[in-house]
Amino acid sequence: MGEVITVTSGKGGVGKSTLSANLAVGLAHAGKKVVAVDFDIGLRNLDMILGLENRIVYDVIDVMEGRCNLSQALIHDKRAKNLYFLPASQTNDKNILDREKVAKLLSDLKKEFDIIILDSPAGIESGFEHSIFMADRALIVSTPDVSAVRDADRVIGIIDAKSEKAKAGEEVQKHVVINRIKQDMVDKGQMLSVEDVLSILALPLIGIIPEDQNIITSTNEGEPIFYSEKSPASQAYKNIAGRVLGEDIPFMDITEKKGILKRIFG
Amino acid sequence: MTLFERIFGTKKEASSASRAKDRLTIMLAHERADCAVPYLDDLQRDLLEVIKKYTQVRDINIKTENNQNIDMLEIEIQLDK
Repeated sequence: MGEVITVTSGKGGVGKSTLSANLAVGLAHAGKKVVAVDFDIGLRNLDMILGLENRIVYDVIDVMEGRCNLSQALIHDKRAKNLYFLPASQTNDKNILDREKVAKLLSDLKKEFDIIILDSPAGIESGFEHSIFMADRALIVSTPDVSAVRDADRVIGIIDAKSEKAKAGEEVQKHVVINRIKQDMVDKGQMLSVEDVLSILALPLIGIIPEDQNIITSTNEGEPIFYSEKSPASQAYKNIAGRVLGEDIPFMDITEKKGILKRIFG
Repeated sequence: MTLFERIFGTKKEASSASRAKDRLTIMLAHERADCAVPYLDDLQRDLLEVIKKYTQVRDINIKTENNQNIDMLEIEIQLDK
């Protein structure tokens, strides 16, 4: 049976879809059979980050409403052989997801895939609830700013209340991913550090992603940053994929090496 | 900052990051408490009623305490002398 991993954050724009895409690619490259599902109904975006927007015929709502088979809607990524993608619907009706149909879809996916990645919408409304209630584990993404951390804290507080697994007395594994860290600002005391964020959220860390301009260009191209092996963020995503699979990978040292002159004048 | 302060870091001034951390910590302490026990006011009123049956009460304070594993209510009952 596959494992359901929900990527969530509370606040929008902190990098949920970018993490979902790159984690999915990373896990597929590690040999797992992966499906990435965009649950952001009405605001589909994972398709463009994965570069699969031109291949969409059916979407997740079509599957749930029985307008097509699951296999007709699944898009097979050509580059990562083990990766499949199920796009969100672009309907305006954001309440269209139905709890029982979501449960049915996910249990079907669990039979076919090792890992199901759910890219949750921002917010704490029904879309978020549908993406969390079947989760085996949750990755909570936050950037080091007060709004993102505050919203992440809210979300962490309600995950268990919305989860089937927690109702059954089991634990939803929860980990924090800290995105867009600018180490030079942290060093100057101008940005919350990884330690600051973790001490507030009180959950274990599973990834630190440095600010990396390559993300913008790779999203422009529709090619996940995972493939730009020289970029710092690519390595960070690869490490997260490894840790999700239980590997013990040390956290990247993102501190800049500073010379004495720079320390005085910089 | 003077050159001397830059080199030796003698100037002690709260950085904006530490202000962010302090503000968040305080804000979240409030929000977590609110979200954990929405029935706090009702509980306080009912407790007061029950205890009044037996003894004189001056005040009841209920504090919420939580970390990852445990939610706790700390109830302080001040008796009238």
